[in-house]
Amino acid sequence: MSVSCNCIAGAMRAIRPASTLRTELHAVRTSARRTVTSSHSPSSAIVYRALPKQKTICLPRAQNSIWHGRNLGGNPRKPPGQPVRPFSNSTPRCKLKTIEQVRARNKGGPFNLTAAILFISAGVGLYFYFTYEKERVARKRIAEQTKGMGKPKVGGPFDLIDQDGQQFTHEDMQGKYALVYFGFTHCPDICPDELDKMALMIDKIKENCGNVILPIMISCDPARDTPAVLKEYLKEFHPDIIGLTGTYDNIKQTCKAYRVYFSTPPNVKPGQDYLVDHSIYFYLMDPEGDFVEAIGRNFTADQAAKVMMDHIKDWKGPLNKKEHWA
Amino acid sequence: MGWLPLGSSEKPACPKPSADGAFEAPNRTNRAKCYEARDAFFECLDRNNILDSINTKGGVAAAQKACGKADQEFEKNCAHSWVEYFKKQRVVNYQKEQTIRRIEAEGGEIVAPQLPTRR
Repeated sequence: MSVSCNCIAGAMRAIRPASTLRTELHAVRTSARRTVTSSHSPSSAIVYRALPKQKTICLPRAQNSIWHGRNLGGNPRKPPGQPVRPFSNSTPRCKLKTIEQVRARNKGGPFNLTAAILFISAGVGLYFYFTYEKERVARKRIAEQTKGMGKPKVGGPFDLIDQDGQQFTHEDMQGKYALVYFGFTHCPDICPDELDKMALMIDKIKENCGNVILPIMISCDPARDTPAVLKEYLKEFHPDIIGLTGTYDNIKQTCKAYRVYFSTPPNVKPGQDYLVDHSIYFYLMDPEGDFVEAIGRNFTADQAAKVMMDHIKDWKGPLNKKEHWA
Repeated sequence: MGWLPLGSSEKPACPKPSADGAFEAPNRTNRAKCYEARDAFFECLDRNNILDSINTKGGVAAAQKACGKADQEFEKNCAHSWVEYFKKQRVVNYQKEQTIRRIEAEGGEIVAPQLPTRR
């Protein structure tokens, strides 16, 4: 009996741990299932902390249950039965069926001919657009630098006479772009060259923008450059050029307004032979009489004409296109 | 500089008076003639290896000796102020060229003065 009792007791002893083990394992399983779905690390920490108290045999099963729980939880790659809900409803553009297709696609990266053409054409387009805009804004800045605040820095009122002996003032420049050059008729080489250049510029601008420019040559040598001399001299260059002269004081005042340096002896005898030193710039003045830009000798006629035409095309205000001599 | 004709008003190239009495400026033909005479004179100077024909006494004498005839032609076809101007310009241009060459030989770069606004 004792044996049997022992046996039963032994059996009971043997059963009891088994049943407790079963209940505890059940508890572990459910807790694992519950917690894994919400968050992974704390539950596994709990499981692994609980496990050393159990027999080692429980470990694989518990782990199994954990992995199972994980799969249930949120891994969309292997849906356990129901289809995975996709992020977008649209059908994928290229379904790559075989691994070769995937490899072939990934070999060249995300680039193909269409993408390359689009990329390059967009780049080229943007480049030209930005270059154009940059130039336009730079011109605008130059043109507006002298606007607004107080008196213009270059240019201003003057009172002179043209080659026909008529009065010509700054007001006669209104409404047209004016290209102002300072020179003198007895000039050895630079002035004739520059006036030839001016003639080319005038033709170029007239051809492209119409009759918008008023070419003016102001003499720095009023003692020798009378209206008749100017008239005779300028007709060799361009019929449009207006030659201006005046009294020494008026010329001096005009040159000062245009920041032009010149050195004519104030008292010269008729027939005296001398040279006049003067600055050689073309001054572009806008239709409101404000200074736009100075163009030096380093510009060719074509370059200078382009600079001026760009400014003229930017001009939004009214432009007088009537012939000056009409 | 005793040889230099100081009064230049009697030259044949001297301009005629215009309608209102002032002297007319040299026209395109006059200028072309003047440039031609100038180039002939400078060519003569080049042949004789003379650079300066105006600033130094020795230069004036050398130019007069070697290219006296060309110089006379030059003076005849251009206003006296132009002659002086071109002779001085010849020296200045040569010096400018030399300076540019020297700077380039030293590895420097010559940048033409630009307006501060563009490029």
